[in-house]
Amino acid sequence: MAIATELPAEAAQPRRSLVSARTAVGVAAVALFLAAWQIVGANEIVRSDLISYPSEVAQTLIQMAASGELGANAIVSLQEFLQGFIPAILIGVAAGTAFGLSARLHALFEPLIVMLNTSPIIAFVPVVVVWFGVGTQSKAIMVFLAAVIPIVINTVTGITEVHESWVRACRAFGAKQPQVIAKAILPGALPAVMVGIRLSVGRAVVGLIAAEMYVSVRGIGRLIQVYSTSDRAAEIFVLVTVVSSFGFLMVTLLRRIETWLAPWSLER
Amino acid sequence: MGRLVLERLSLSYAARSGAFLALSNLDFAVEDGEFVTIVGPSGCGKSTLLMLIAALLSPTSGTVRLDGRPVTAPGPDRALVFQDFALLPWRTVLANVELGLELKGVPISERGAIARRHIAMVGLAAFERSYPHQLSGGMRQRVGIARALAVEPQVLLMDEPFGALDAQIRQVMGSELLKIWERGRKTILFVTHDIDEAIYLADRIVVMSASPGRVIADIKVTLPRPRPLEIRNDPVFTAYRQRIWDLLAEQVLASNTWEQPAVAARA
Repeated sequence: MAIATELPAEAAQPRRSLVSARTAVGVAAVALFLAAWQIVGANEIVRSDLISYPSEVAQTLIQMAASGELGANAIVSLQEFLQGFIPAILIGVAAGTAFGLSARLHALFEPLIVMLNTSPIIAFVPVVVVWFGVGTQSKAIMVFLAAVIPIVINTVTGITEVHESWVRACRAFGAKQPQVIAKAILPGALPAVMVGIRLSVGRAVVGLIAAEMYVSVRGIGRLIQVYSTSDRAAEIFVLVTVVSSFGFLMVTLLRRIETWLAPWSLER
Repeated sequence: MGRLVLERLSLSYAARSGAFLALSNLDFAVEDGEFVTIVGPSGCGKSTLLMLIAALLSPTSGTVRLDGRPVTAPGPDRALVFQDFALLPWRTVLANVELGLELKGVPISERGAIARRHIAMVGLAAFERSYPHQLSGGMRQRVGIARALAVEPQVLLMDEPFGALDAQIRQVMGSELLKIWERGRKTILFVTHDIDEAIYLADRIVVMSASPGRVIADIKVTLPRPRPLEIRNDPVFTAYRQRIWDLLAEQVLASNTWEQPAVAARA
């Protein structure tokens, strides 16, 4: 009887159709762009050896995939990415948590974090290569350096902005500090941590490709470097497409994980 | 058991202009199974008093005793219900109610059954898998009440629990709280600034002064139970309302603020 007067706030449902409408507009925009590029390039309105065109890029993609050139180098880049990215998540979240919980520690490291965040990470490539060699290790280090900072910064924000009422609820039932951290602070900071990880994907990919282009034996960045010295627009577009598709997939995957881990953060 | 005794309880804060006395010499007892409400003007420290009893704050002087033992640290023997509900948004209703049980150290195999029993008690059995953001305000506070009752506290401390709800829901929640209380007769200390709510629920009403908070009246409510919602129109009820309103009006005028205690349509 009482409950009848209080309906759950679940009612709003138009989200799904809104998302698909947005996707449709996005797909249409990309299709329009590809069509215009095809017309301009294939009809030599602009020199096609400079700008290429989608059907040529697609053919080149098939050739490069079939010859094994693409796969072999992509695997090297993927390994380098994961070797840097996974430690960046682990260390970034751990450091961010420590800084978020200890104002003193945060004060000590904040200038360093701000400087690293604003410095052009690509400028570190030569130094990192000198220190760690031309192999996969230096690439992983670059990925790590690029990715760790946004993760640290967002974790700190997540921890310091945890709602006071969540902490209060735990304390009221007798929680000690480690329990407050485990039950209120870490889960409460999770959405911000996930945002940090998502933001760091783009920076990590840029760091990786830049390092590979600077000096390397294998990898997508190495291929970009090789084809750019021989004026091969189509190959470069293939490689850029592969790299950006990877970034897109990673971000989409992380978004999925985010909504699965913290469905509440979208609804507050 | 759940007899709560406040002995000469005072709290002062360090403020810019020296020490600010928030609560002055509070001295009263809440008997086992008694439902006591506290009313007072805004800022009189009535919520602060609950924080002292919960030991989320420490008094400057004086002691809180629960069944004779002095209270020194927060614990599940005194469960709080908050005005802002303070639910964990990433936990389902069931998991929110289990929070206190986890912190109390109840074995994992027993938590589910205890939590479900209390969720059913507040009428949310169909919603145990829902998240707080999917519930209305009244339903969220039911979760807050279930969470507090689940740890089987000696005393239930309620800090303006219905303050964030609209008027009708508020009355319904009050009457349901009474039904739950009449089944278990747990000691309840309930803070509100709503005079009608204070009378409707209470065995006894403690009226507090404006800052610094002191007890200015301790009124026994002799209205029969169970109390229907319409009891608010009973002449005995309106006499209580008038008496408390007069006590508080003095305080509000004396403290020289624009804030008025909430009183529903004076009869």
